[in-house]
Amino acid sequence: MAWRFLTAAGVSAHQGLAGDEVLVREVGVGRSPPTLKLYTYRPHCALVGRFQDVDNEIRLSFCEEHDVQVSRRPTGGGAILMGPDQLGVALALRGRGDRHGRPRELMARFSDGLSRALRHFGIDAAFRGKNDLEVAGRKIAGLGIYRDPSGGLLFHASLLVDLDVELMTNVLRSPFEQNTERELRVVARRTTTVREWCRGVVMADVQAKVAESFASSFGVAIEPSRLSSDEENSIETLATEKYRSDEWVSCRGDVRDAAGSASIDTFAGTLDVHVALAGRMLKAVHIRGDFFADDDAIADLEWKLRWHSCEDSGVEATVRAWARTHPGTDISPGAVTEAILSATAAAFAVELPYGCFVSPGGVDT
Amino acid sequence: MTADRSFHIPEDRHYQREHHLWAKHDADTGNVRVGIDAIGLESLGELAYVALKDVGTQVARGESIGTLEAAKMTTNIVAPISGTITGRNDAVLENPLIVNTDSYDRGWLVEIEATDWDADAATLVSGAAIPEWVAAAAARFESEAGAD
Repeated sequence: MAWRFLTAAGVSAHQGLAGDEVLVREVGVGRSPPTLKLYTYRPHCALVGRFQDVDNEIRLSFCEEHDVQVSRRPTGGGAILMGPDQLGVALALRGRGDRHGRPRELMARFSDGLSRALRHFGIDAAFRGKNDLEVAGRKIAGLGIYRDPSGGLLFHASLLVDLDVELMTNVLRSPFEQNTERELRVVARRTTTVREWCRGVVMADVQAKVAESFASSFGVAIEPSRLSSDEENSIETLATEKYRSDEWVSCRGDVRDAAGSASIDTFAGTLDVHVALAGRMLKAVHIRGDFFADDDAIADLEWKLRWHSCEDSGVEATVRAWARTHPGTDISPGAVTEAILSATAAAFAVELPYGCFVSPGGVDT
Repeated sequence: MTADRSFHIPEDRHYQREHHLWAKHDADTGNVRVGIDAIGLESLGELAYVALKDVGTQVARGESIGTLEAAKMTTNIVAPISGTITGRNDAVLENPLIVNTDSYDRGWLVEIEATDWDADAATLVSGAAIPEWVAAAAARFESEAGAD
């Protein structure tokens, strides 16, 4: 079956998210064909993940002052900033009879369309971790999957064609640092954009290549189309009743956020660790200090610990496995584990709200 | 006793075949406890968040009774039976990882007072039908990513 191909530019936060949900529902029940939608948001929109606390993630006063719309995605993950230079990808497919596939395999399968498109621009991107598309260790796209009760499956991605890092750090709160030059450097170092590798490329060209590459990756034809009038009406209703509503945007879950820090002295130097937690999951870890270690090695460990259980044995096993692959680091895995667990214990003791913008790693979806 | 060597599927309860939820009926109270089975859990990985509908909510079989996030996949939890939610597992709401460590006992999600347990139970997999269902589900799980 050929896929329907839709495009849109400058959509509002509420319209964009309602559009995605209506698509996956209509495709899920079989009223609409599989659909690929590529679109951009109005400047600008801040979108938190399904379970995030909007007060913790977004600088709401800044958004109000600068006309940044705020809403909540149906997909999980961290808060993101969307606008004219970030390409939104929504692929709605019907699931098979069994509702469960492995998320990692699904992510890898779906992200192939983006990887192929990026290769057209000379960018070698690879799926890494749970949900990132990276170029040389720097995040270029965030990925998410949502399964609708209808059986529909929504693959969601935000591709950084360009990024205003300063604006992003003004909109999204960080659990670790205030909005400083250092924070800007950290985010810039951990993220990359299509234009960084291919100067001057325009959004329309990126969009065309992404569409072509998804068709090629899945071996399907895509046919430019438009929403049905029923879909348009449903989107209007859902945008108003759900995505614009305070009940949805400001809803709070039972899993509490927390942040903590620990500093320990080791033979190799001082080790400072900051953690951000969602319940008993490590959402983000920052490791700093005056010991000798390659920045990439530390970044690798921080990535490995994202969305990782904070249980002692699991953290220790992950740190030890990391240390075996980075023998040149002079800090001991035991000290790193101790510092992480101490920071976690501090977080449980205090439970201050913190905000978690995408983690130190960059932009999520 | 388990029906399959690779997935622990206790035979003392019923299973929703597509969404991989278990339902355990208490004949004394009429309540049915609901949770995620081992195949569903394997496919999701560690749970980060769980949200469940409030006690007192009436649900129909096939309707969403909550949402969960694992890694960055979010999915609806679909009621395997019809009835009224009479209990939510607060411990799981606060620490979803309990589901990963003990999905058949401490990791239950909701309790539902069944409207018609016998009718709903007939739509679920149980008893001698479990091994064949598990084998088919496991084979599908291993062979595909799950989307058309």
